[in-house]
Amino acid sequence: MKKFTHSIFIVIVIALSSCMRLDSNLYNNDNTITSYQLDNYTGEQDFILDATYKIPDSLIHHFTLNSLIPGESSAKKIHAIYLGSISKIATDTVIMYCHGNKWHMDFYWQRAKLMAHIAGKNHYGVMMIDYRGFGMSEGEPTEDGMYADVDAALQWLRLNGLSSQRLMIYGFSLGSAPACELTANPRSLTPSKIILEANFASAAVMVQDGSQISMPASYFTNLKIDNAEEIKKITQPLFWMHGKNDLFLNIETHGQVVYNNHGGTYKEAHEIEGADHGEVPEKYGFDNYLRDLEVFIKK
Amino acid sequence: MVRPLEKGQKVVSAHLGGPLIGFAGTTIPIPFTTVHYAQGLSNKTSVFGSVHTTAMLFGVFQTDIGACQQVYYNDSLRLGFSVNPVLNLAFDKWEKKFKCWPQLDVNAYWEIKPKKSFVYIGVENWFELAGKKAHDVKQTNRWIVAPQLGYTYVRKKWNYGFETKFIAPNLKNLPNAVDYRGIGGKGALGVYLSFTRKF
Repeated sequence: MKKFTHSIFIVIVIALSSCMRLDSNLYNNDNTITSYQLDNYTGEQDFILDATYKIPDSLIHHFTLNSLIPGESSAKKIHAIYLGSISKIATDTVIMYCHGNKWHMDFYWQRAKLMAHIAGKNHYGVMMIDYRGFGMSEGEPTEDGMYADVDAALQWLRLNGLSSQRLMIYGFSLGSAPACELTANPRSLTPSKIILEANFASAAVMVQDGSQISMPASYFTNLKIDNAEEIKKITQPLFWMHGKNDLFLNIETHGQVVYNNHGGTYKEAHEIEGADHGEVPEKYGFDNYLRDLEVFIKK
Repeated sequence: MVRPLEKGQKVVSAHLGGPLIGFAGTTIPIPFTTVHYAQGLSNKTSVFGSVHTTAMLFGVFQTDIGACQQVYYNDSLRLGFSVNPVLNLAFDKWEKKFKCWPQLDVNAYWEIKPKKSFVYIGVENWFELAGKKAHDVKQTNRWIVAPQLGYTYVRKKWNYGFETKFIAPNLKNLPNAVDYRGIGGKGALGVYLSFTRKF
């Protein structure tokens, strides 16, 4: 009996002292690169635009920002790219593009270029960053770090004259987390409109899709990402698009839940026939994608 | 547990295995591990309990407690049927969330030599009590079925088991962030090994 009691005690101690978590599996980051290749990048990409989408070198600005999580002792240096004329930020509309969980900005370069063609070449500014731990940005990816990093970009935009009224925020996949978080709980600027592509709903949905039963997310992860709840606080207009053939983030359990929970009065849904997770712009048709986003932004 | 123990017999076993998933370019079973204890109350009834050691590493105390009841046995055919009512209980240290999933297994086993090795076929049934999923979405998967097939090689002090399951063969396995390997786009195949020490 004594042995049994000891065994039970050991089991409880192990359970209480264990700390394995799947949090880091959310980030499929690559921090081995030593420079950004942009148009010269030859690695895998969701799509490659033709030469007509080329951005003049003078309108591509690569720089670093210091990002500090509240309470963190030292800032992390993160890499950012701004497409457009910095001197016009004080008067331009700017799209803050929050990329997905894959690798680094080279993978998302074509998407940023595409966005820089909404309403014409370089009509709107586009800001993109690598979250900490992605690409050449310092540190390790974390949920709080991701929010702080996007906010560091918003601080830079504000210092260059951007106002909340001219800020659009765009979140693709994992990027829907900072897009929702910083719209629902604004820090340096308050986005006036939000665009979500192939969004994530919450860690809870991820776990429940994986287990098929109502298993609590806390059994696997400490991530608090909860776009499905944050979106309830968001009253800004929403442009939502999701591939009907998204095999990674289910359109019903992830996409539609967030769309349905939107707290505002204006929202538009674009369910893209045949599009898998990374295929929305291409299956949408680049021209249609650009046209619909232009109409939404100008509305 | 498929075949009840003899009255008074005690066993401790280690189980390893889980559903097959695509991972890092290959297919592997999710490495779930369990330590299991069982005791024969009579020749027809055994009780058991287990600790899920992989879950424990994640700060989740998970156990399944149940009984294995022989409901029919034919001596000449060496064919038996058993049912296992089980309660799966889990509690995590992070958010103190408790869950309970009742389970009912039904198995038929055939002893290759009397009281020796046996093959079995059966079905595991998990029941989801919650009517809602996250964000108040209706839970439509209230009954998770897993047909199973296994073989237990019986030695004097040790038993060695191999089991394969087809978990949730009625449910599509895509879209899903977990890359389950099933059949025809449905469910997940699972493989499990067990090592049992008898006392």
